[in-house]
Order: sequence, then C-alpha cells, then structure tokens
Amino acid sequence: MIMFNLWSVLQWYLRPFIKWFLRKTTKLCELQRICYGDKAGAERTCNVERSLMLSRTRDVKEVVAFLDSVVYERRFVPRNFREFLDPSIGIILRVKKINPKLHSSFVGSFRRCLEQIWSYRCLMDQVEHLRQTQFDSNNNEHEDKLLKLWSLLVPHAPLEARVTKQWQYIGFQGDDPKTDFRGMGLLGLENLLYFSMEYPQVSSHVLSHSLHPKYGYTFAIVGINITSMAYYLLKDGSAKTYMFNSKQYLPNVNLFHKFYCYLFYEFDKMWIESKPANMMEFSDIFKKFENAVRIELADPASVFRINVEVDNV
Amino acid sequence: MGFLTILKKLRQKEKEMRILMLGLDNAGKTTILKRFNGEPIDTISPTLGFNIKTLEHRGYKLNIWDVGGQKSLRSYWKNYFESTDGVAWVVDSADARRLWDCARELHSLLREERLAGATLLVLANKSDLPGALTSQEIREALDLDSIKTHHWRIVRCSAVTGENLLEGMDWMLDDIASRIFTLD
Repeated sequence: MIMFNLWSVLQWYLRPFIKWFLRKTTKLCELQRICYGDKAGAERTCNVERSLMLSRTRDVKEVVAFLDSVVYERRFVPRNFREFLDPSIGIILRVKKINPKLHSSFVGSFRRCLEQIWSYRCLMDQVEHLRQTQFDSNNNEHEDKLLKLWSLLVPHAPLEARVTKQWQYIGFQGDDPKTDFRGMGLLGLENLLYFSMEYPQVSSHVLSHSLHPKYGYTFAIVGINITSMAYYLLKDGSAKTYMFNSKQYLPNVNLFHKFYCYLFYEFDKMWIESKPANMMEFSDIFKKFENAVRIELADPASVFRINVEVDNV
Repeated sequence: MGFLTILKKLRQKEKEMRILMLGLDNAGKTTILKRFNGEPIDTISPTLGFNIKTLEHRGYKLNIWDVGGQKSLRSYWKNYFESTDGVAWVVDSADARRLWDCARELHSLLREERLAGATLLVLANKSDLPGALTSQEIREALDLDSIKTHHWRIVRCSAVTGENLLEGMDWMLDDIASRIFTLD
C-alpha cells in the first residue's frame, strides 16, 4: 500500500518529464500517441480521458470544464456536437501545436473520443435523473408503462385488476408493484420495459426460467437488483468498457438499457447453471456474478453481446 | 495470571450479539440497517436472500442479519434463528392494509422454540409518512400485550429521519446485555 502511494506521488512529479522526453523523441504529444497507438474503443478513449484529466495546461483544463458545463446544462446532444466540439478541438490542436492537415486521422479519432467521454457523463446524469424519479401511481405515464410491461411479458392473460396477485407471476413481491421499485425509481421499470420490448424472445426465455419449479426466482425483483448493479457500474466508471467498445452507438440511455439486458441474461444463465437450493442463495450468487462482470469489464478488450442464437430458439 | 486467563478475559471483553431483522416486505429493514451503519439509504432495492452487517456499537460487536421479507422467502427465516439474541420486527406504520398479515407472521415467529428468550423490539417504522398509525394503534393491531414469552417494546421510528432508531436499538442491547453478560 505504501509502495503504491509512493509510486503515485513519484508519478505525479515524473509525468511531465516523461511526457517531455517522449514528445522530443517521437515528435508527438501524448494525445497523439494515444490516438495513433491504442486500439479504438475503451482502451483509447479511457486513455484520452485520463490524459485530459491529468493535464495541468490551463487551456486544456478550460476545455474540460466547458464541456462539463454543457453536459450540466443538458445540451450535449449529437445535433450540437459540432458547435461544442469544433472549438474545443481547435484549442487543443493549437495548444499542442498539432497541424490538422498533417494529422487529419488524429482529429477524427480524437473527436470520437470526446464524443464518447462526454456522452458517458451525459448518460450518468440522465440515469441519475430516472433513478431519482419515484414511481408514482397517480402519474398516468408511469401507470401505462407498468401495464405495458405486463402485456408484453404475459400477452395471453390480461390483468384482472390494477391491484392483483397476478403481479407475482412476473416476480413482483405483492399485489401492487409500486413499492417494489424503491431506490431505483423509474429506472427499474424502464429497464424491465426495454428488456421485454426489444428482446421479446430473450426476456420470455428468462421469464420462463424464473418460473422453473426448482430453480425459479422472482423475475421483476431480480431485475430491479440488476438495475441497481448496472447503475453502480455506470457510476463508478466500470461500464466505460462496455459503452466505449460499442462501435454502433454512443453512450446513451438505450445503450444503458442494452447493458442491463446483457447483465440480466448473463445472470439468469449463471443462476440456472449454479443449481441453487433455494432463493436464499441469491446474495452469494449475485455477488459472484458481480465479481465476474467486474473482472470482464476490467479488460478494455472485452466485447459484450447477448448470445443471439438463444433469441431464435 | 496465565496466558490462557488473559485470553479468556479478552474474549469476554468482545461482547458479541446476534440480531435478526424481520418483517413483511417493504417494511424498511434494509433501510434501517443502512441508516444504523451510516450508509446512504436512497439507492436500496428489494432484498432477495439476506444482508449481513457486523458493526461496533457501545462496545458491543453486533452481527445484524437482515433477511428478505417477501412471502416466498418467509419460509426460510427459520434458517437464521439459531443463537439469535434479539429480534427487530420492522413494521410499515403506513401500511394499515397488511397489519393483520403482519400480526399473524409475528405471532407465529414468537412460537419458534429457537427464538425463546430472544428480546423483541418492534420498530414502528415510517412514522414520518402521512397516515402513519400511532404506536398505540400498532400495539393493539399486533396484539403485543398478549406476549408473555419475550421481553418486548415498541418504538415509533423513521429510518429516513433517523428519529428514535438509536433509542430503540439501545433498549434492545441493554435488555440483551442484562440477560447474557454477567456483570463484572
């Protein structure tokens, strides 16, 4: 522990010299070395982010603060990217004395990194907002979502009443799901809804596992616990590996939902494979699952995908 | 004084208690545990299985077990009864609809042989909510006065505001201590 602290202190002092030395020998600044040397995705974007955060240059610090304030004002959306990123990139190019004509491929990949980094921050803000919105049974929009969840998961049996024991079939605790969302708020419901809407086959496959006579579990409550896990992985930055390795999408709420679906599907697989004696083993298996996910996320090269074959079973 | 005697003395000093938190789902067991342990309470999800926390309070080492309260889990409560010193029975004071259910579960719990002698603390939680029943109303609904087999007390509290939580816990610890630790 002491050795580690000593090393980080030393690194703090040595970093400018190492950077200066590399700059002189490679004729490239750190950001260029990252963008040219590291694989696109989590590896490159995380290193660019670290480099920007550690920078002691005033202009770089100002760019970071500016983009943070744009996120704070909720204006960091794709249609505004040019407006905010062009001047930011311009400042960095000027400070780092990079010729954009010679290094056009750097500008492209650096731009992508900035989009990913600040979209992630934006996503954290949105997810936090959803989580803090309590499920409110007086709000028609919330109620509609809940009813829609039922009709997607159990299309063959309509609800007999709004408050009914039927809810336990899809794994809520009592006869009214409203108190089950707890600290995860609307986020828990939105996650479940996305899972059943976008992956109908996977979610009904998972739901049928949850109804297994021996290894069954409470589908919705497990789902809300998975929401909690996904939320913490996003908050502590572990989910960056997943988000930044997505080639198709920038971090956004839908990508967070996809991450959730992946976690739910994988947890279900692990639960069934563990052949638990009863529901009380949940705490242990869930912890084991979280550790396995964290190990996978710690490797920037990890790619996550729901096994699509199952979708066609 | 021999080495073993010193060891024995040291072990006595480490006063350990085992406390079980039970109650219907959504009563607030996990929130109380987290509040008691000084953790944030705004990101809790329903408990499946159990949580366990070991914490120091007033020189006691407390092992607190918080077991999920949903109906399908209640049959597993018995797995946690062994050598329990105190039961904290958590009630949602604003959920009048299920008080009858709550009373039934509590009284069947008190018939358990392995819980004989355990101190019972009834935490009438969520006192901050509008429509929360008074502790007298809950006392009657749960028919607490009929309990002769256990030392018991009801405390109106709120895990969100922290009101009365410590007072309740302290009473339980004192009651357990007076029973299991002989005065030096």
